Amino acid sequence: MFRKHGRGLLDFLVAVLCLWVAAYHTPAGALARRLGAWALDVKSSVRPLLSYYEGGGDEFFIDKGPLQLPPQLAQLRGAVPDGSALGYGAYTAWLQLSGKERDPGRQLALRYGVDASRMEDPEKGPPELVKIIRAAKADLGTDDAAMLALMCGYEPARYARDRARAEGGSAELGVMLRQLPPEFESRAIHAATGLTLATAFSLAWPVPESTPITSGFGMRPHPILGERRMHTGVDLSVPTGTPVRAVAGGTVRRASQDAVNGRVLVIDHGRGVTTAYCHNSELLLAAGARVEKGMVIARSGSTGRSTGPHLHYQLSLADTPVDPLRFRPLRPGSSTAVELAHGGVDGRPGPPPPREAPPRVKRPAPEARR
Amino acid sequence: MPRSTPPSPAERQFEGLVTAISRKLAGFRWVFMPLGLVALIAVGVHAAADVVDDRILWLVDHADALFDSLVGRFQATASWVDLVGLEQRVKIARSVALVWELAADIILCWPALGYRERDARKPVIFETSLSGAGGFRQLLRRLKARPTTMRVFRPLAVGLVALAGGCAVARMVQGAVYLPTRGALGDGPAGLLGRACALAALAAVLYTLGWRATLRTLQDADVMSDDGHPSAAEALWRGLPGTLVVIPLAFAALAGATPLLSFFR
Repeated sequence: MFRKHGRGLLDFLVAVLCLWVAAYHTPAGALARRLGAWALDVKSSVRPLLSYYEGGGDEFFIDKGPLQLPPQLAQLRGAVPDGSALGYGAYTAWLQLSGKERDPGRQLALRYGVDASRMEDPEKGPPELVKIIRAAKADLGTDDAAMLALMCGYEPARYARDRARAEGGSAELGVMLRQLPPEFESRAIHAATGLTLATAFSLAWPVPESTPITSGFGMRPHPILGERRMHTGVDLSVPTGTPVRAVAGGTVRRASQDAVNGRVLVIDHGRGVTTAYCHNSELLLAAGARVEKGMVIARSGSTGRSTGPHLHYQLSLADTPVDPLRFRPLRPGSSTAVELAHGGVDGRPGPPPPREAPPRVKRPAPEARR
Repeated sequence: MPRSTPPSPAERQFEGLVTAISRKLAGFRWVFMPLGLVALIAVGVHAAADVVDDRILWLVDHADALFDSLVGRFQATASWVDLVGLEQRVKIARSVALVWELAADIILCWPALGYRERDARKPVIFETSLSGAGGFRQLLRRLKARPTTMRVFRPLAVGLVALAGGCAVARMVQGAVYLPTRGALGDGPAGLLGRACALAALAAVLYTLGWRATLRTLQDADVMSDDGHPSAAEALWRGLPGTLVVIPLAFAALAGATPLLSFFR
């Protein structure tokens, strides 16, 4: 019957269906929507075109611009107990949701018997989120699914996880997001943010924590070139040959040598977190190698554009360099907690941090570029 | 199979309604059919680009490392190392993926925009007089007799990305049906309904648009291959750059973006 009489209707419905999917799931569709919004003079909610692609191990799309980190991040980071990074990352990302967008998280709290009104409390919120996320992870099996449940609701997360597994892939956030209808898109971005911050909260430090910092993150006069430049990492004063350790597990994305960075290693930790280690005297791994947290990956040195032995350590979240000190493993009340409280917000330089200790070299050890 | 009993009045009324709507829509087929074909190809191409984008990042990383090591050897060019920062590589890789995808969109969608038909059941693809390229059987005969680069690879690429596009559409339909109905129907029935709708959507996409996109591309490739009566060597070279752009994506679509079995699990 349909073949004979309804062919035209079927063709129309299928064409509309394809246009709907193309509009929300392709960069070409995003371009068309943006053009439409511009022509109609309405506000566009279209994702940036480049966010439709992966940036490493995971599909990942934090909105461009500085991450909106809460002012209490310094204290927050110092207080993250072992094994609670996921919950603290979830809390930090959850705070960025507007009122109604928080409903799935509140429902998740009710599901696990947690008082939802305490979730927004600066003191009680983080431990409550830790409880919720742990319970969701126990049910759903992965960090990514638990974070998605907090932002989009338990059932959409469970469905997306099951579909992702049915496709034969792992239940990573990027794969799960492809399974959900477009209305979940904006909240899913916060899930990506939460996972990124959770990974950043769990980072170790590449050299002994007592190592002096000779140059902080932010704008500074370049010690060799003389001009003011953005210093996109921190310089850690260590003698040549000091073991440099991976701050988290991941994959070596780059192991190379050049005239500026010297011998450099870049490690992709997944979820949009990347670390770089420059000016080494020796690299112990090749590109593509898997690393575990704490593994010795290089020996420090003074190769490239450098005036003395040091390690340039750089942390990038969502392709944006951030101050590594803001994600340094600290205990509350330590001397560097004070330093953190004075630090600038990511991507924007703050007041220069006080020196922890006098530098070991006469001239401040510079980083190369970047 | 022909019906043994005449349709009931209610069935006749429904058929009449569907026929009336189809007739009304027939006046707009010239716009929604090409747009539907373009949308299907765009969805499939993006699904394929999703498969290869992390490999592009790997390539960009290696290319930049090689470039830095080369220019860093000489004092005069050492500062060129600064041209691409660590954080910029991801943007470059994503930009390459975007440009690649849009280029493939243009190459594969262009013939679809020329899709025409006299009525719903008779696309111009099948007509000798309007296409100027011969009917469907002549197209296949020429493909077999003179398999040029465009005749072989362009329809193949469109067929594969259309399949990937169909899977992406089906996936969206499954989620859009299951999640809202789960509360009312319960998990099991909503799951079955979602799966059935996904499979129906996949079948409908391939039945209505998939084959049209593939054959329209074959028709266009056939015309392009013979335009100006090129020699056999010229016909092989013709369209090669565009084919090199789309073929990796087509095979990526086949390898990583056609999870047909997932709708049965």
